[in-house]
Amino acid sequence: MAENRIVMPGELLSEKPERISYAFVDKGKTYSTVVGLFSEGKLVPLEGPYEPLPDDLIVGIISEVKFSGYSVEINAPYVSFLSSREIRERYEMGDAVFARVDRVDEVKNIDIADAKKLPVGRLVKVSSVKIPRIIGKKNSMIDMLKSATACDIYAGRNGYVWIAGKGNQTLAEKAIRMIETQAHTHGLTDRVAVYLKSQQ
Amino acid sequence: MICNSNGDKMGATGKEKPKLYESGRRVDGRGLADLRGIKIESRVLNDADGSAYIEWGKNKILAGVYGPSECIPRHDQSLYRSVIKCRYNMAPFSGMEEHGRSGPSRRSKELSKVIKEAFESVIISENFPKTQIEIFVEVLQSDGGTRCAAVTAAAVALADAGIPMKDLISAVAVCKIDGHMAVDPGKEEDNFGESDMPIAFSPRTGEILLFQMDGLLSREELSEGISLARQASEKIRKIQVEAIAKVYQEPKEERFLVIK
Repeated sequence: MAENRIVMPGELLSEKPERISYAFVDKGKTYSTVVGLFSEGKLVPLEGPYEPLPDDLIVGIISEVKFSGYSVEINAPYVSFLSSREIRERYEMGDAVFARVDRVDEVKNIDIADAKKLPVGRLVKVSSVKIPRIIGKKNSMIDMLKSATACDIYAGRNGYVWIAGKGNQTLAEKAIRMIETQAHTHGLTDRVAVYLKSQQ
Repeated sequence: MICNSNGDKMGATGKEKPKLYESGRRVDGRGLADLRGIKIESRVLNDADGSAYIEWGKNKILAGVYGPSECIPRHDQSLYRSVIKCRYNMAPFSGMEEHGRSGPSRRSKELSKVIKEAFESVIISENFPKTQIEIFVEVLQSDGGTRCAAVTAAAVALADAGIPMKDLISAVAVCKIDGHMAVDPGKEEDNFGESDMPIAFSPRTGEILLFQMDGLLSREELSEGISLARQASEKIRKIQVEAIAKVYQEPKEERFLVIK
């Protein structure tokens, strides 16, 4: 496997014009736009704002109750809208919901749907680019966290992680913080497993 | 009476002009193409999306980046791109001379404007319509060349915030002292030199993103100055890249800053 390389904004990725996310093409060459890890033609940013895409599963906080629905804060530069038509529950300000991004238009009006109210728990805010690491390959990391801490963990693609249930919530939060700071390193799942075992 | 870019009135300080260049050495012992020592630390503020602290000679500057977030006031927002805002501020205690009360002045408004315009040409702002990206630069201690250090630190802070940019830019000034072109003037050279010229480069394309000059230079001196600055900016870029990479090589549990 090719070694991951940390690239900087403006760094050359390819001599040919290529379609790589978080990259741009100038005069027939491809350059990075962010600080990221580059390997095998894929660029993964190490930091950055959440950009909502349709079908993302997210955790949101109800920020306003309106006549026809709710404004939901989803850790993006934009507030999203949840229409009352889409749901059967009623929410109050401050409630946490797990939902799906339904539609994003060109001026970033965001509609979300399929909302489900989350049980009492705690919110951990991490950067959205770390979420794939918290979930892991085929859910390996998050399944391990769930079984080791006996908590229900909802990892939203937007960077909000909701921890609920009667388990050890503090340990789950600490493990998530650990994954956040070491997200770019190798062999993280094993290290988290050792950590969880040592804390039990 | 001549005013330099810092707005200090020469002579008002009552100081005699020192010999700026003598037997191959400048006032502080550097050669003509030598930079002062530069140290950059990235990710130093907890609540900012991106931040950087730079020590450039005796300059100490803190840069913070917030955003993209909803653009306020709304009449500033654009449906096509993110609005970039910049505030450069010099602390009242930052220099030997009286900088007056803190808050915007003629000089700091000008610098905020030129720094903002330098970044407008590299930030890919079309990705975030209806938002704003705020850059805050606080000069805690100044010793000449703060706008260049501010641009350099703000570029690191923007990269740290993960804001998409076409390039990691850096800036450096060149000056003319006792008839010689020299890079990175300190306060003495700034005040008593014949000319001072801050330049910001996009190292990928070689484009000039910020260019100011006061004093007089001939055509030849100008092109010599630009090539000196270009060489120096490559060295600065290396320091910037190291600072950004260090955040990931030695991850910190908490962000904090120690200013000595």
